[in-house]
Amino acid sequence: MDNGFFSHSYPIGGRGVMNELMDSDKKFNYLFGLINLVVIFCIVWLLWYVFMNPNAVMKLYTPMYGFSLVVAFITAIVLIHQVADDYPFAKGGSGGSGLFQRGILLTIVAFILMLFLVYVFFWNFIGKFGIAYFSPQSIIASGGIGAEIFVARENASTAIVYYCTAFLWIALFWTVGFKNWPWQDASRGVRAASKLFTILFFVSIVYAVMFHPHVCSLFYPAQVKAGVDPWWADFIGTGSAFFSLGLVLCSLFWIIVSEFLWEGYPWKLMDKNDEGTFIKGLVTFCVTLVLGAITLYVLLQIMNIFWDEAFMGGQYTDGPDFRCIHAAEISGFFVLAAFILKNYFNNYPNVGGLWLRAVLRTLIAIAGGMLFYGFYYSPAANFFLSKVPGFAQPADTSLVWTILFLSVIMVQVDFFEGWPLRQNVVSAKNAKAVSGQTAEEMG
Amino acid sequence: MKRREFLKSLAATGVAASVGGALPRSASARKKIDLGEIKSVKIDVLTETSWFDNDNLKKHMLDYGGAMTNQYSIPWDWDNAGGYAALLTVTTLEGKKRKFLLDSGWNNDWMDYIWEMNNIPAMLKSGEIEFMVLSHWHLDHYWGIESTLKHNPNITLYAPKTHYPEDMQLLKGAHLTAKNKEGQDIHVCKNDHPHTGKLVLTDPDGDKGDGIYRLMPGVATRMFDVPILLRVRGENVLYFNVKDKGIVTVTGCCHPGVLSLFSYARKNFKGYQPYGCYGGLHITLFETWDPKFDDIIKGVKAFKIQKLACNHCTGWIWAEKAAAAGVPVVKGTNKYKSYKRQSSVATASNAFLTNGDSVVF
Repeated sequence: MDNGFFSHSYPIGGRGVMNELMDSDKKFNYLFGLINLVVIFCIVWLLWYVFMNPNAVMKLYTPMYGFSLVVAFITAIVLIHQVADDYPFAKGGSGGSGLFQRGILLTIVAFILMLFLVYVFFWNFIGKFGIAYFSPQSIIASGGIGAEIFVARENASTAIVYYCTAFLWIALFWTVGFKNWPWQDASRGVRAASKLFTILFFVSIVYAVMFHPHVCSLFYPAQVKAGVDPWWADFIGTGSAFFSLGLVLCSLFWIIVSEFLWEGYPWKLMDKNDEGTFIKGLVTFCVTLVLGAITLYVLLQIMNIFWDEAFMGGQYTDGPDFRCIHAAEISGFFVLAAFILKNYFNNYPNVGGLWLRAVLRTLIAIAGGMLFYGFYYSPAANFFLSKVPGFAQPADTSLVWTILFLSVIMVQVDFFEGWPLRQNVVSAKNAKAVSGQTAEEMG
Repeated sequence: MKRREFLKSLAATGVAASVGGALPRSASARKKIDLGEIKSVKIDVLTETSWFDNDNLKKHMLDYGGAMTNQYSIPWDWDNAGGYAALLTVTTLEGKKRKFLLDSGWNNDWMDYIWEMNNIPAMLKSGEIEFMVLSHWHLDHYWGIESTLKHNPNITLYAPKTHYPEDMQLLKGAHLTAKNKEGQDIHVCKNDHPHTGKLVLTDPDGDKGDGIYRLMPGVATRMFDVPILLRVRGENVLYFNVKDKGIVTVTGCCHPGVLSLFSYARKNFKGYQPYGCYGGLHITLFETWDPKFDDIIKGVKAFKIQKLACNHCTGWIWAEKAAAAGVPVVKGTNKYKSYKRQSSVATASNAFLTNGDSVVF
């Protein structure tokens, strides 16, 4: 079954298969992939100029308000495609003349869903009838110090960013770990609803434990009956949930890398009838979480080399909160590079054994991520994004640009099925050999 | 230490060479600096009320693009504008008194009023005020520059090198406007007295390559090249080494972070002892909260700062919470109430050192 950017077009093992992969390298038009990437970059630049640039049109990058909208947009994409499998719309994968129209339709639906999530669901339902801090109007109505529109909107947006982050983590992990288990035999509608509500259940737990304590501390006095003191403060040196953001993004890196660059392995070894299992999901979650924690630790140690140790109360690069979100930002760049390698450069290279391919691709993704890092903190980014040079600007995070970029890629890959750059790494015959299904059976 | 320095230089050189721009610099081990000493420093709070209504200021930021937008493109409410400035009087080891200004505020009318109350014009004209240090290019510290230059256009000025074109335009004489939502040009700042004196554009390298600019024995300024809100970059921070007491920092907004300033002093100044700080500390400037502000209280206590005099963008909430937590906050008086305007967030706690107050380190 084609899951868009999570599709596996790589057959398993065998010399014949290896030749097939090497042939795919020869057949793939890398120049076209590069041109596609440049076009996507220009689209992202235009969208940034219109919506985010602080000196241009809508100026939504305040920063948290714009951050919440971008995260909500990518949440909508993931919800529609990964969680709901495009239900109730027709499944993709068949190409044809309706592809472009389908892409436009799904993009519009994702955009509307973004608006619904932020302005209806959070601002005017949950925030109005439940948890006040999800709504700027409710924060203002509750009065007290700082209860005015600018700060209220930033704080509500922070809460929304955190909730959507938790959703993205659980939803993407679920797609890799469990796939459609345990509803693999259910209808599309039942499967979509079941996955959504189950994911939301776990998202609420993750949010409550990893993010809610910080949001409760954004108000004075802190909402101590509603949220505990941030429990991570003593060992990480800050009460900010940027720690949680760092941990989640670092874990997401391993989810994405293993699915894209490692062709689904090693988790795929635990598949049953090409579907996930409970054990597979549990192992995937635990291992990627541990790898994420190790990655966060390593990145923090590397930052200590450049900037000396951070300390409690430090600001800018001396701040433990900045160090944590910076680790998230670096992981974000790596994820972006992995997306680009997979979708625009045929997951190069397609040679050698799986482990060799996996290692090479991971190194390429890391190198690509560092190129994005260099770009973001270079004078070029001051021109493209209208930002002030330097690190740790309090109102700046590269995650907004990175997620906007990822969203545009996902729209092309998931909604437009890669049009006009189609990836046909394997023939339909090999696709059948892998999945055991005909094109009709794949839906 | 050796392994760390080796790795730092390798990594930073490679990255910096490939990209350039504002990248992490290798913090190579420096010989510690002997700042010299002073007997004491007195700080007169000329004005710390950069604006009078927080909500008014925030609404303008919200309406015109938020914290990342260019400060010169926002048609600020002139009636809400005040300014930040302080008069520093250093008593040298020989007993001589030397004075200089920190910043020149925002609203020219307000700054002229403040200057008259404190006899600043006479001191500028006579040269009793020897020079001015501009902490950073923010509107509330700089746009009132005319009020200083009209009395001494030849004054020596230390300002961060990281200025933008409009900053220099104003210094050389200009009237600048910004468009409001209706497309009308609204006055934002002006200066009819071009600066003709010595302009020292400070950068992180310092005057002798060791990171500081020596203003007089025992007094130095260091430029921290940090990206700041409203399209501004870099801040000059003043360091004073008071004999037998230790290091005092004086800041306009302390954007780099008060503990980073002391961390820098600890690593770079010979005989470092933490003593005190004065100025805006840029913490809860809009009277909101965040867990990292609790972190700063814990950090201030850990750094053993003995005297903390704060105001302006520190935030009354933080100052009050810090005082309640045992931080030695210097309390102000009610003298500010005799001024023609007061800040809308001032409280009876006197946790701020505010207009008309002074502190001696």
